[in-house]
Amino acid sequence: MRRRSRFHRLDRRASPYLYVLPFFLLFAVFGAFPLFYTVWVSLFDWDFLAETHTWIGLANYTRLFGDYTFWNAVLNTVQILVLATVPQLVLALLLAYALNHRLRMPTTWRMSALLPNITSVVAVTIIFGQLFGRDYGLINYLLGLLDVGKIDWQAGKASSQFAIAVMIVWRWTGYTALIYLAAMQAVPRDLYAAAALDGASRFQQFRKITVPAIRPTIVFTVIVATIAGMQVLAEPLLFGGGSVTGGSDRQFQTLSLYLYEVGFTRWEFGYASAAAWIMFALIVVAALVNYLLISRLRRHS
Amino acid sequence: MRSRLLAGLLAVALTATGAGCGDDDGRIHLTVSTFGEFGYQPLYREYERLNPEIRITERVTRTEDHHKNLAAHLATKTGAADVEAIEEGWISQFTNAPNRFVDFNEYGGPAIKDRWPTWKWAAGSAADGRVIGLGTDVGGMAMCYRKDLLARAGLPTERTAVGELWPTWADYIATGLRFRQRVPDVAFFDGPSAIYRGILGQQRVGLYDGKDNVVVRTNPAVKRAWDLSAQAVSAGLSARATAFSADWTAGLAQGLFATIACPSWLTNYIAQQAASAAGQWDIATVPGRGGNWGGSWLSVPRQTEHPAEATALAIWLTAPEQQARIFESTSNFPSAVDLYDDPVILERTSAFFGNAPVGRIFADSVTALVPQYQGPRSGDINARIIDGLTRIEQGRDSPDESWRKVLREADALS
Amino acid sequence: MTVRDLRAVRRTRRRQPAQTATPARPRAATKHPRHALRKIRVQRPSRLVYLVLLAVAFFSVFPFYYSVVVASQDNAVLSQVPPPLVPGGNLLANIERAFGSVPMTRALINSFVVAGSITISVVFFSTLAGFAFAKLRFRGRQALLLVIIATMMVPTQVGIIPLYLLMAKFQLVGKLPAVIVPSMVSGFGVFFMTQYLRTAIPTTLIEAARADGCSTAKILWHVVRPIAQPAAAVLATLTFMSAWNDFFWPLVALNPDDPTVQVALSTLSGSFVSDFSLSLAGAAIATVPLLVVFALLGRKIISGIMHGTPR
Repeated sequence: MRRRSRFHRLDRRASPYLYVLPFFLLFAVFGAFPLFYTVWVSLFDWDFLAETHTWIGLANYTRLFGDYTFWNAVLNTVQILVLATVPQLVLALLLAYALNHRLRMPTTWRMSALLPNITSVVAVTIIFGQLFGRDYGLINYLLGLLDVGKIDWQAGKASSQFAIAVMIVWRWTGYTALIYLAAMQAVPRDLYAAAALDGASRFQQFRKITVPAIRPTIVFTVIVATIAGMQVLAEPLLFGGGSVTGGSDRQFQTLSLYLYEVGFTRWEFGYASAAAWIMFALIVVAALVNYLLISRLRRHS
Repeated sequence: MRSRLLAGLLAVALTATGAGCGDDDGRIHLTVSTFGEFGYQPLYREYERLNPEIRITERVTRTEDHHKNLAAHLATKTGAADVEAIEEGWISQFTNAPNRFVDFNEYGGPAIKDRWPTWKWAAGSAADGRVIGLGTDVGGMAMCYRKDLLARAGLPTERTAVGELWPTWADYIATGLRFRQRVPDVAFFDGPSAIYRGILGQQRVGLYDGKDNVVVRTNPAVKRAWDLSAQAVSAGLSARATAFSADWTAGLAQGLFATIACPSWLTNYIAQQAASAAGQWDIATVPGRGGNWGGSWLSVPRQTEHPAEATALAIWLTAPEQQARIFESTSNFPSAVDLYDDPVILERTSAFFGNAPVGRIFADSVTALVPQYQGPRSGDINARIIDGLTRIEQGRDSPDESWRKVLREADALS
Repeated sequence: MTVRDLRAVRRTRRRQPAQTATPARPRAATKHPRHALRKIRVQRPSRLVYLVLLAVAFFSVFPFYYSVVVASQDNAVLSQVPPPLVPGGNLLANIERAFGSVPMTRALINSFVVAGSITISVVFFSTLAGFAFAKLRFRGRQALLLVIIATMMVPTQVGIIPLYLLMAKFQLVGKLPAVIVPSMVSGFGVFFMTQYLRTAIPTTLIEAARADGCSTAKILWHVVRPIAQPAAAVLATLTFMSAWNDFFWPLVALNPDDPTVQVALSTLSGSFVSDFSLSLAGAAIATVPLLVVFALLGRKIISGIMHGTPR
């Protein structure tokens, strides 16, 4: 009897830790360790193909700060981030508003909104690459019908980043809209009832009740979209037909693509690790900035 | 229930991942990893007949991916094939890491050294004399042109006369301008890649000096290749097609451009892709007469389990007899010196190119060739320079602005 | 552990304040005239709303349709102006070409193996940990849960080089375990199951089981497993889709001759630049499995995204 209860006590004490251990163990090895090891690698002149690596301290970082290709990638990433995130969230809000009615066939509409999200990023980029083709793309053809003339989407900085932003917006708006929809559905009905009886139009209700009520959700999606937007890789890599420089003038090379170019085509692991760490710092900063911005905005409205 | 599912999945996983050729049927399995078209398939079958204990499988990948993977395999010491092909843009990167390869000198190298021109042998050797690569083919350089399009511009179409249109590149550009005046809806050449490679390949010193220093900034020959290409591109002579893209391939067939600088291996590509335009293409000499673009070597990574067999295979595949047969089937021009006076090579003509004496044309260009040293990052630097020319094509930069950026990129790669 | 998982966390975190049934109604009935009430209750959407939804549906579906159009033509037709708008007859030929140009069969198998393994592992470990966080009491529970949330904020690409070095050291570069093992646990998965199990398992049930002398493991098997199944199904679907679509790490860690579907597809489009009939045929092959999953389990996926629970 006593033995059983001792086992029982041990079981109750220890088993929770046992159950959560796998997660922390695996995360420690594959999530946390790489993060810190990146810093270590960045302090070396670490060519993957070389037999030895030499310690160079912060030299990678100083070189990075003077490297125009790196800052070009940073700028591109921020531009694409803004171009993709702002329309995405606004459109998602409006779409969620539209979905938040008593619709016929609600699941069908929701599924059609989510459809873009279930495809692979690679497939999406290829499809849009064809649509944005210079000579035979559908979009240029339509522009031709409207007498606007062909745009070389890949060649220009604004045009290529716009095309990539379109891909991202297309892919994520429905998903984000569903998240907003869920939050909207939790808003108590009597708020709307009261406002309607006070004479508020639907749109005013939307602005004054719905949006503030789901503010935490909006903040959350902004942060998540920022973190994801700073890591965009597949679109710039494949839009340029596999070119690791993101266009002939690096016009749409993002930070991730830069990381890939330096680390996995030039094999300069030390330099790439320094870039990766700066990228991490920038992501944190960007997420913070966006969080403050959104909170500030709410207060004004 | 779940555990059975798990077991089943594990089984699938093991069979899917663990598939590899073992030497379990008593034979020795060799893998050969190449890119593009080496023309080795029929040769493998013959080699297997001659050596029944050997089985050969080939892996073909896109050129850039192939070399990237080779570098990764060598560094991780696993995953490389038994025989790996290396192209001239990357050969220097790997001759700088001779520890990762088998030295052919230990497997009969000195005896066969004279098969190749000195420069080809040297390019496949490391600084300390270890031979890691045996030469396969050589590019040479000529100018392929469309007879029908030149005719529309009132230009001669017979190949000797065409060759006299452009003894120098400046003449080539001038001809191009004349062409465009009379046939404004057709471009004169395909894109920046071939013309730049053609001009650069004729220089004695290219992107690197003999000691692996990048000399893009200081070498006037590189600047010359740049200036001429930039001039041609700025003059609107280019069809702005990316080499080897589907648009470029379609352009070969549809007559999107009138000329294209073509090394020997490219002629096969043109013949295949532009089959519908048979009889319209012909070959003339290239401005400057000589030149080279391309050419490869076969190497044996040290991690192979069968060094003796792998080196024997590599030596056989690069033997003059085999090189002659490959020239017949794929137009990859041999690098074996003896063949340059061999009538079998010299008499060869190409039906697709209007019975042009391709053997003689390319043999001439190869003997006139000035061997150029390729450094470890030649491939990457050339890609950046071609990007620079593309920028001019796209109207993003002026030639000077673009050149400044090219220099910056070259500095980063040095 | 992808960022998209992060997006889904929010709604699960904010457990819906009670489904406020309509308490307002009875009270309002006395305060306001009935016809005004009717205006509020029966929110029949205007035609504009349906128009918007129709437009969304069109833009969502059109790229898929167009990719089938392009994938079923041959390149000669594609280099004509105007571009084609209806499918041609070349689809099978292009699909054959795609299978011939890259190891597509192998890629499909690999993707199934990888996504399947990751799914099983994530669901298993998430249920374990989720149960512990939801129902077991132990020191540091709150803190550890916060740590898990924090881990979801870590961008995966930052550590990609050391991860590669790690895999190189274990000779796993180019092999499937390199892609499977780092993804075997997911912070989002733990979170998802924690939230679900918190409300789904009545604590009294566990206490009763303990009183019967069950060890924690027995409770896990007899009580938690059956109750967790619906949520596990949703998590499995989301995880599978996410693992199937993963690109950056498989691109770096695998070789073109033994790839996952996404890597094979990118090799295809990179090797045959602007050969869109071929690339889009490949894209179609890569997408069809997901479309099947979506058709069968679409409702579950939507409820998983929206509510963090199966409905």
